[in-house]
Amino acid sequence: MNPTLPLRADARVAENRCEGGANHRLRLAIDGWPGARPGHFVMLSPGARGAAPRFDPLLPRPMAVYRTLPGAVPEIEVLYKATGRGTQLLAEARAGECVRVVGPLGVPFALPERGQRALLVGGGTGIASLYELASQARARGPVAVLLGARSAGDLMGADDFAALGVELRVATEDGSRGRRGLVTELLEAALAEPGPTAVVYACGPTPMMRRAGEIAAAHGARCEVSLENRMACGFGVCLGCAVPRADGTIALVCRDGPVFDAAAVGWANVP
Amino acid sequence: MSAVDTRVNLGGIALRNPVLTASGTFGYGGEFAPFFDLEQIGGIVAKSLTLEPRQGNLPPRIAETPAGMLNAIGLENVGVDAFIAEKLPALSAGVAVVASVFETEIDRYAEVCKRLTGAPKVVGLEINASCPHVKSGGIEFGQRAEVLAQLVRATRQATSLPLLVKLSPNVTDIREMAKVCEGEGADALSLVNTLQALDVDVATRRPVLRNVLGGLSGPAIRPVALRMVFQASRAVKLPICGIGGIMTAEDAVKFLICGASAVQVGTANYLNPMAALEVARGIAAYASAQGFARVADLVGSIELPR
Ligand SMILES: Cc1cc2nc3c(=O)[nH]c(=O)nc-3n(C[C@H](O)[C@H](O)[C@H](O)COP(=O)(O)O)c2cc1C
Ligand code: FES
Repeated sequence: MNPTLPLRADARVAENRCEGGANHRLRLAIDGWPGARPGHFVMLSPGARGAAPRFDPLLPRPMAVYRTLPGAVPEIEVLYKATGRGTQLLAEARAGECVRVVGPLGVPFALPERGQRALLVGGGTGIASLYELASQARARGPVAVLLGARSAGDLMGADDFAALGVELRVATEDGSRGRRGLVTELLEAALAEPGPTAVVYACGPTPMMRRAGEIAAAHGARCEVSLENRMACGFGVCLGCAVPRADGTIALVCRDGPVFDAAAVGWANVP
Repeated sequence: MSAVDTRVNLGGIALRNPVLTASGTFGYGGEFAPFFDLEQIGGIVAKSLTLEPRQGNLPPRIAETPAGMLNAIGLENVGVDAFIAEKLPALSAGVAVVASVFETEIDRYAEVCKRLTGAPKVVGLEINASCPHVKSGGIEFGQRAEVLAQLVRATRQATSLPLLVKLSPNVTDIREMAKVCEGEGADALSLVNTLQALDVDVATRRPVLRNVLGGLSGPAIRPVALRMVFQASRAVKLPICGIGGIMTAEDAVKFLICGASAVQVGTANYLNPMAALEVARGIAAYASAQGFARVADLVGSIELPR
């Protein structure tokens, strides 16, 4: 479970910049931020907190904590794509303005056992859930990060992963960077290589995570996925983020996840 | 700023201030412990309870709409017995809890009310009448006057606790439903529940919710809720708990002015887990700034054109 109690804060925008196309990077200074573990997320209200309260768009957006930068006032980074009503508004927040943050939230990833090989599979904004995991898994064993995107311009965070010194493999659907194809094909290939027991972590579009779980299972590897879902609250009170488990019971993505064992997810009814 | 008397009475429930939290938007209360001390608001209305634990609808269950949201959660809850055994003890002793009840049959509603009567911290019951009635072919209990009358009568007999009836707004005339409740011995009314609504995705031509229809909440419904509170408060003598799109203290004050004795903060809890506390403080600040010694004096203070 989540040992860190969440806080609600007016976070100060330290930096909010476009990194090409729809890709954005937001750095927030949060007084009293308790720190986050790999896989934790925050709920971020998109409109800057000006003099007049604003309630449209109404709901906060779940965003993975990309990384934490410790300091007198700790900072967190969030990567997002400005594609919808909320994220486009978020892109307008300027340095010095405040946005509301609730977090850290959710059940984090379980780090690999010592000596295990960690295979991190990321697609789209899902990549943002994997940076801290890659960073911390390095101390446990070999780490390979497999990133997928439609084209080179859609890829997020690749340079940061490269700077961590972990093995980085990229697949793009149009072949503009790395191998042409799907990131799950990179996973197939990686699992076929000889080496220590692998553990797979996947975050991205639902079909990708489902496929990653199947591929891992076929190779006898454990697979954790970080599910995305519509969320209104992020801390287990609206019951809006429900997904079925494989056994037919209901789980809340925000409270029981977002990290789940891929084999425990009832994929047929995950939207 | 002089000290304002914030106490109000809601149908026999003495509240330290007029702010409660709306059922289904505050979990069972304990989820908010990291954010603020629940003894600083009037009380909480917990997620509606059924006799047995229930699992809700398949996803998607929620969707955002202009200044609002749609939901179709289903009847998901831990069940009345687990609520009493596990959820109530987790709250600190001074938290006033209104337990909300929904069911699919009238005798089951009554049984849940019986089990809640006498449970520690439970200061009142709220009957959620926006539930589909199986025997009426799925129409909400609160949509037909005869069915609503039976429901209020049965639950009234089942409990000695103050009885609030939460009305469905999906009716032609809210005054008629309010009078039914008054006639059957309810102590107060809560209004409104969510407005029945629909949205579709034009890319897929699918409804945005798996359940097709959902309930609309948030600022989008506030003027409708305010109108219903105003109408009901003039039709019956029962005190009213105003609900619908309250985000700020100013919104809450509007409900008091239009005749509500107390309010519930709902959807706002999702985006701001401290919303209820901020609303409670803001109401006191407004009353003080406007020279009211008691928040209760604001109730029904609307200045109508002569
Ligand atoms: C996700 C969700 C779940 C709800 N569940 C319940 C419920 O279990 N029982 C109930 O009486 N009302 C329920 N409601 C209705 C609220 O209590 C409230 O009446 C309504 O949302 C309008 O107020 P608001 O606009 O402040 O949210 C729910 C509302 C939402 C958004
Ligand atoms: S987002 Fe509200 S319960 Fe998960």
